[in-house]
Amino acid sequence: MSEIDLVEANLALKEIHKLEGHTDRVWSLAWNPATGDDGHPATLASCSGDKTVRIWQQGPSGSWDCTAVLEDTHNRTVRSCAWSPCGKLLATASFDATTAIWQQVGLDFECVATLEGHENEVKSVAWNPSGTLLATCSRDKSVWIWEMQPGNEFECIAVLQGHTQDVKMVQWHPHLDVLVSVSYDNSIRVWIEDIDIDDWSSVQTLSKTSCGHSSTVWALSFSSGGDRMVTSSDDLTMKIWDTTKNPSEVSGDGNGSWFHLCTISGYHDRPIFSVNWSRNGIIASGAADDAICLFHEQKNDLVHGPSYRLLLKVKAHDMDVNSVQWNPKDPNILASASDDGSIKLWQLTGLP
Amino acid sequence: MEPATTISTDFLESTVLLDQTLYDEGFRDGYRDGMDSGKEEGREVGLKHGFQVGEELGFYRGCVEIWKSAIRIDGNSFSSRVQKRIGELSELTENYPLSQPENESVQEMMDAIRIKFRIISANLGVKLEYEGNNLTNASKQDLEEI
Repeated sequence: MSEIDLVEANLALKEIHKLEGHTDRVWSLAWNPATGDDGHPATLASCSGDKTVRIWQQGPSGSWDCTAVLEDTHNRTVRSCAWSPCGKLLATASFDATTAIWQQVGLDFECVATLEGHENEVKSVAWNPSGTLLATCSRDKSVWIWEMQPGNEFECIAVLQGHTQDVKMVQWHPHLDVLVSVSYDNSIRVWIEDIDIDDWSSVQTLSKTSCGHSSTVWALSFSSGGDRMVTSSDDLTMKIWDTTKNPSEVSGDGNGSWFHLCTISGYHDRPIFSVNWSRNGIIASGAADDAICLFHEQKNDLVHGPSYRLLLKVKAHDMDVNSVQWNPKDPNILASASDDGSIKLWQLTGLP
Repeated sequence: MEPATTISTDFLESTVLLDQTLYDEGFRDGYRDGMDSGKEEGREVGLKHGFQVGEELGFYRGCVEIWKSAIRIDGNSFSSRVQKRIGELSELTENYPLSQPENESVQEMMDAIRIKFRIISANLGVKLEYEGNNLTNASKQDLEEI
């Protein structure tokens, strides 16, 4: 579905399930990439301030159950979780400065590795497209890259320094080994491996001078094709970036290859903690105003370059929305997590 | 007014200039005492700081020596990537300018050594940390909740 004629659409975001069980705020969600594949029920992982990770699955009747609780490993808030691309491993990042790797064994999950190295709270974890590398970032201002070795061993291959404050999130490009990090220092950094020196370095920094954010950048999400990226911030805006050019192919003349396309503002009046771009090109945002907004690109001849239109805004939770994630297989299903301790599943209806 | 070049035999002069004389004397005494206590304090701070740097650097060099010995005994002790990093750490600790305390890049160099050490110990799976009276351990106290 590439072009949606949304002008006549009668769109609505309907709450279809509410998952309760966590005893503290839910920080982050991750859909298992194998969700919906033959034999695999829809599976969602959630992590919380209650120091646990919960695995939720949809049964044949359509109802959702919590099928596993991953506990007694982290001794502080679990802030972020991410499934490996094959769906067999789950990485969880915690304020206890460690990242744990879990593998499913029967109905249970076993912790098969613990990655230590950060000096303090780990904020985010992400797998590269091939599942061979894992990136973690922390309040200690650094980003670590780990390479998976046989036997679930992980070796730290690089420590990326450059941010001057807490790094909030890391995400990989959907098909290139390009890593992006966002921070409390208001900047977005792009990192790639330099084969000549066998090390990673920052090839571009998107800050105020490149039309970047003027306050903490909380989250980022790539479009499924990898040609666009959206970032969200404390400055109440979301920014869309053109990421078509491969940073590894740019001549080193100091000019970065990615640039600002447009800014979406005026729809949230509190910090925007999460953004996620669906396969259908719909951007979902979750913010401290307890709401979720959906946006889509508007082809408009009158304006130079693309602009994004609000499709709808719903009050989703009783408290801050910390994470919004589209189901990778069914792009009309959205999951949201909140400070109120609950996870909600939503269905987008009314699409033509 | 009296011309300044006349040889003064004015018996009142010393009285008139008493303020100034006493001021000058006080200044000289204060300056001298200040220099002495300043030097003393400087010596103490220098000794303390020098000791701290020396102790920390010595710690890293000690670890490097053990690791290098292990590699000499058995070349397969560590993965090639870790061995390369141990070599890099060894170079960094050798090049640290111990006799140039005023070299502006010493802080950066020490940070680079610390981070390289963290990566090696993370990859070896060991919880090794230089303790000392360390400024970098202050993070334990500030708990951040978001």
